[in-house]
Amino acid sequence: MLSYAIRRMLILIPMLIVISFFIYSGLELMPGDAVSYMIDPEAAAEISPEKLDALRDSLGLNDPFVLRYVKWFGGVLKGNFGYSLSSGVPIRDIVFDRLPATLELSFIALILSTIFGSVLGFISAIRKGSIADNTLTIVGMLGVSVPQFVFGLVAILIFSLKLKWLPVGGRLMPEYVTYWDRFPHIIMPALVLAATMTAGVMRYSRSSMLDSMNKEYIKTARSKGLPEWRVNLVHGFRVALTPVIVLVGFRLPTLIGGAVVIEQIFQWPGIGNEFITAVRGQNFPLVMMIALFSVFAVLIASFLVDLFTAILDPRVKLG
Amino acid sequence: MNDDTIIEVKNLKTFFYTNQRCNKAINGVSFKIQKGKTLCIVGESGCGKSVTAASIMGLLPRLSRIEEGEINYHSKQHGHLRIDQLEQNGPTMRSIRGGEVAMIFQDPMTALNPVYTVGSQISENLKYHTKLTRKKIKLKTIDLLSNMGIPIPEQRAKEYPHQFSGGMRQRAMIGMAMSCNPQVLIADEPTTALDVTIQAQIFELMDTLKKDHDTAILLITHDMGVVTELADDVAVMYMGNIVESGTIVDVLRSPAHPYTKALLKSIPILGKGKTQELEPIKGSTPDPYDRPKGCQFHPRCEFATDKCQEVPVDEKISDSHSVMCWHYREVLNNG
Repeated sequence: MLSYAIRRMLILIPMLIVISFFIYSGLELMPGDAVSYMIDPEAAAEISPEKLDALRDSLGLNDPFVLRYVKWFGGVLKGNFGYSLSSGVPIRDIVFDRLPATLELSFIALILSTIFGSVLGFISAIRKGSIADNTLTIVGMLGVSVPQFVFGLVAILIFSLKLKWLPVGGRLMPEYVTYWDRFPHIIMPALVLAATMTAGVMRYSRSSMLDSMNKEYIKTARSKGLPEWRVNLVHGFRVALTPVIVLVGFRLPTLIGGAVVIEQIFQWPGIGNEFITAVRGQNFPLVMMIALFSVFAVLIASFLVDLFTAILDPRVKLG
Repeated sequence: MNDDTIIEVKNLKTFFYTNQRCNKAINGVSFKIQKGKTLCIVGESGCGKSVTAASIMGLLPRLSRIEEGEINYHSKQHGHLRIDQLEQNGPTMRSIRGGEVAMIFQDPMTALNPVYTVGSQISENLKYHTKLTRKKIKLKTIDLLSNMGIPIPEQRAKEYPHQFSGGMRQRAMIGMAMSCNPQVLIADEPTTALDVTIQAQIFELMDTLKKDHDTAILLITHDMGVVTELADDVAVMYMGNIVESGTIVDVLRSPAHPYTKALLKSIPILGKGKTQELEPIKGSTPDPYDRPKGCQFHPRCEFATDKCQEVPVDEKISDSHSVMCWHYREVLNNG
């Protein structure tokens, strides 16, 4: 297991290099460059081409593509993520400023959706065809198919504007000192995000559980005279859990790149929000770094999924 | 009920209900399972063999139920019981199932839970049916595995089913079933999924267990070779009825039902060469929702007459041998 883990970590390095190269090339293909964004078109028309060129030179934009890539990636490795083109603030500061907010939101949603999703799916499966199952199926379908922003807006309308129970959005205020001061702010975005994720996990764990309950070993378990709860939980659910963990694992990356829509609706100062602004503003260095972080999260998540499935299912061999 | 009879099934009818239609999967079946003897139920797929086993085990699926008849069971713990009247997952049924009446299944590849060690799955049975301490359970598990002929049982108990071969898994299954010294072992086609050489080993094991522990065995199979090998008594099933039953000599030497006869004829004989002609049974099994009138076999039967439109009665040929056919005399004489 340990040697496998180390090997997997080592493979991450070349993968990261290749992907970072693709990200860099992809952004290279976008029309315009940093200069055309920094200076507004009206003004740019009045500046002589030589001056613009000199500006490009000073920013290193005229260097050959590969050289620019190497410079950028070298900087990233040294912890120098570059500077935001729009504000000049180091990207590292932006990322580490915004990341905690996103992680806080997504972790809560991920944990809630995993717990509720798998438990509700389990109930739905063992009570297949009952009123509870049918209700959960309909609710699950709604949860999967209704877009997040609709949920978000409806929630704001009801709980903030009508009932005035919860704040409309935001995360921090100057007078907030303790975590509990800002806790009301996270309730709604986390629950809305969790709700949509729960629906997916629930549908998945229901079908996985049904699948497991149709297997022969369930018959064996019953033929041993075990009580029904033990047949369902210990024999059925334990096996059904593996695919659910895989699903949840692959949602880990959304912790970083993820909750873009929710962050927009609730004005949550997370990395998703920042990402949108950066893309709109052609803020290349920032876009690249956030993309790179997301990729890194995907790689780590798939690694964790492999480890978890190996722990949960003894048939999976790592190597 | 004589002393050696452990389970007596009387006129059992188990029906399945699907899409508003009723499938009479078992339609009046009677037999006895006796101490230290093996009863084989033979028949083709879908004739109700497995449903019979499931009825006794109280493991019927949700859409089915026992409509009529009795399953009398003589329990060590609870005395005389009517299994058909017990709640399927009730405490009494559960204490019998796995403890006094154990079952092994067709496919050992899927019958063991892939995520638990073989040892823990055997221990689970002991945990629910005995009052042994954890330590003793562990020792007993290892003991069982070694009795089943599994080498290095201490090591093997800690392994997962996928690390076992098919034959070993079936041995482990038998070990699990035998763990609480059951009175009855129900084996539902225990060797269908195994190689022939392994089959022989498994049967040998079952035979030894029967002799050592006086266990009654109900063996469900469609393999006549298995029947000759193991059975003391045979019951031939067709479309939910036992059409012929008797001792192995009765049934195999002088088959009285046309179906039994046809079954025996359709077996290839080893060493007879390529030139031997197999005689398959004409036609195919009727649709269970659209059954023929009277004797279920008559559309495929060479002895059929108009009389066969009526359901035949159970005729006694001798004390042990009985048959459900109007023309059994002709069948016997033609043999």
